[in-house]
Amino acid sequence: MSAGETHAPQGPSPPGTCPAAATSTSPAARLSPPGFVTCDIIARTDTARVRSPAPMEPLTMQDVKRRSSTLTPARRAQTKPSYLGFGLGLRAQHYADILDGNPDVDWFEVISENYMVPGGQPLKMLDRIRARYPIVMHGVSLSVASATPFDPAYLQGLKDLADRTEPEFVSDHLCWTGVHGVNLHDLLPIPYTREALDHVVARVQHVQDYLKRPIALENVSTYVQFGHSEMIEWDFIAEMAKRTGCWLVFDVNNVFVSSFNHDFDPYEFINGIPADRVVQFHLAGHEHNMTHIIDTHDALVPDEVWQLYRAAVSRFGAVSTIIERDDHIPPLAELVGELSKARTMAIEIVGPQLILNNRR
Amino acid sequence: MTRTVLKPRTKRPAAEVPAEQALVNSPPSLAELQATFQDAILAGDQRILSLIPPNSRTTREVLFGVYSNAYAGRLVEITANDHELLKAYVGDEYFDTLARAFIAANPSHTQNARWFAEGLPDFLATAEPYSFNPQLGELARLERTLGFAFDAPEAPVVTLTHLQEIDPNDWERLVFCAHPSVRVLKFKTNALAIWTALRAGDTPPAFQHLEMPQTCLVWRHDVTPMVRALPAEEAMIWTEAMNGSAFGKLCELLAVFDDPSTAPLRAAKALQGWLAAGVLTTAEVVPITKPKARRKFE
Repeated sequence: MSAGETHAPQGPSPPGTCPAAATSTSPAARLSPPGFVTCDIIARTDTARVRSPAPMEPLTMQDVKRRSSTLTPARRAQTKPSYLGFGLGLRAQHYADILDGNPDVDWFEVISENYMVPGGQPLKMLDRIRARYPIVMHGVSLSVASATPFDPAYLQGLKDLADRTEPEFVSDHLCWTGVHGVNLHDLLPIPYTREALDHVVARVQHVQDYLKRPIALENVSTYVQFGHSEMIEWDFIAEMAKRTGCWLVFDVNNVFVSSFNHDFDPYEFINGIPADRVVQFHLAGHEHNMTHIIDTHDALVPDEVWQLYRAAVSRFGAVSTIIERDDHIPPLAELVGELSKARTMAIEIVGPQLILNNRR
Repeated sequence: MTRTVLKPRTKRPAAEVPAEQALVNSPPSLAELQATFQDAILAGDQRILSLIPPNSRTTREVLFGVYSNAYAGRLVEITANDHELLKAYVGDEYFDTLARAFIAANPSHTQNARWFAEGLPDFLATAEPYSFNPQLGELARLERTLGFAFDAPEAPVVTLTHLQEIDPNDWERLVFCAHPSVRVLKFKTNALAIWTALRAGDTPPAFQHLEMPQTCLVWRHDVTPMVRALPAEEAMIWTEAMNGSAFGKLCELLAVFDDPSTAPLRAAKALQGWLAAGVLTTAEVVPITKPKARRKFE
């Protein structure tokens, strides 16, 4: 995730935009009590590189969808989100190609804020795509590490969209975006201190109680770190996940960018993350400035990130994966091609059980 | 906590920072760090640098500069996404200047970038030197209003078929309610003509102050934002209709405004246009109100 991706381009509607029936939220779903439980036991591995595939359940997508569709929202909240296969970040430029064609994409991740609007084309498109594909909501403004209290209107808007869309899960970033009522619209770094950890844990728990579901948090690309940090990033993340029961979005590019900018070994990062908490991979490109890397999410996934992806698949196994392009958006077919590369690579490591057919 | 040690490279002490630039508390609390970091981005506060070690290749100034450089650029891009035609009108360079002036005066207070540039029309209308060219603010207002219509709330739309189910004898008591995407704008300049030319990729006309303000109707048709000029007569009855006047009253007003013999026809034509555009959400016959019986005072 790069910082500037929060705004959906507004454009004329594609042809044939008859609104699909909205996915309804049953009254039972709204009335369900908070269903998730905090997971106290997190499987940890030592820091040796793990290259063998992680064990996984042999599941077909039919099994997954059947199981998923028969779960109550409360029960689903206690269960690790299903493996979804290989998806893309949903971008407005691709609405028509997705709906008119049948691209080889298993699921879509949507930027929550782009659909936290009253009505019109964005929500109509979301409903139509949701009717055919599994959806994950990915926000950029939760600001979970901010020292400023949450904006209740934002949390309510996020909950309303989740109730409407019934995503597989809801995610955002381990970062802050501003304080004192200001939003810098960037994913800003935190000091890895015990104070920050306690603060983030309390805030994650607050959000999970409010949304009545566990959230997933993504590691961000950073350009600075703080001299008074008391632990390393992956220990901070692991401890946060252990204490809150939250899931993790593992952005492979972001790990690579931060490892270069802060002179650490990205493979240590991979091995420091609790494998059972990772529910999604992000793959993206960046801008290399030789002395530091800027995360742009606007280019092809480079070789170094593919290498790191191989190691991540080896350690974390069957994890839902997307190519996340935020700028210089190419035609859909190009991204589908890049996604095929990820699928082929992961199947080589884990096996053909990664092939799904989610589309309805 | 399994590990609470820093990696050796991150332990490298930060280079010396002048004492007057150091933070009050060292190490700072999370709240103090974030406030200082934000001040560094918004106002160039250098104290944050004392907390940041360099990496093995470059300085902390360069590393922190990634955040401070990206801030305005990102907001310029968000503003440009909402104001493509204003940007086309003034050119990339002037738009960048204009947007940066707006951003400097208006830090974002919204969680959703969708609403960041809401204040741009007012800024351009009031801040010099932009206020010397009032078409800029009006062009920005038109683009924002179209953007508002784009994702305004959903509501039913009254069609001719709905209306045909109503007894024609009751039409004079029809009252209307606008679709939530509808907004009326009044322009003192030829901003609409400039917008129309830019939209078509043509050279925009020279800027003009209009003798009479121009009224524009903005709404969403299905999923597409729309705009059209309202002639003075139609603007007058639209305003009356939105104030609750029934169709019969609109006909009476048109009879006063111009030729009385064609007033019902002109009213019907305007209504037909509103129905075709989809700007009405309700059209209901109000009951005949009987004169109230005079109360007896006790």
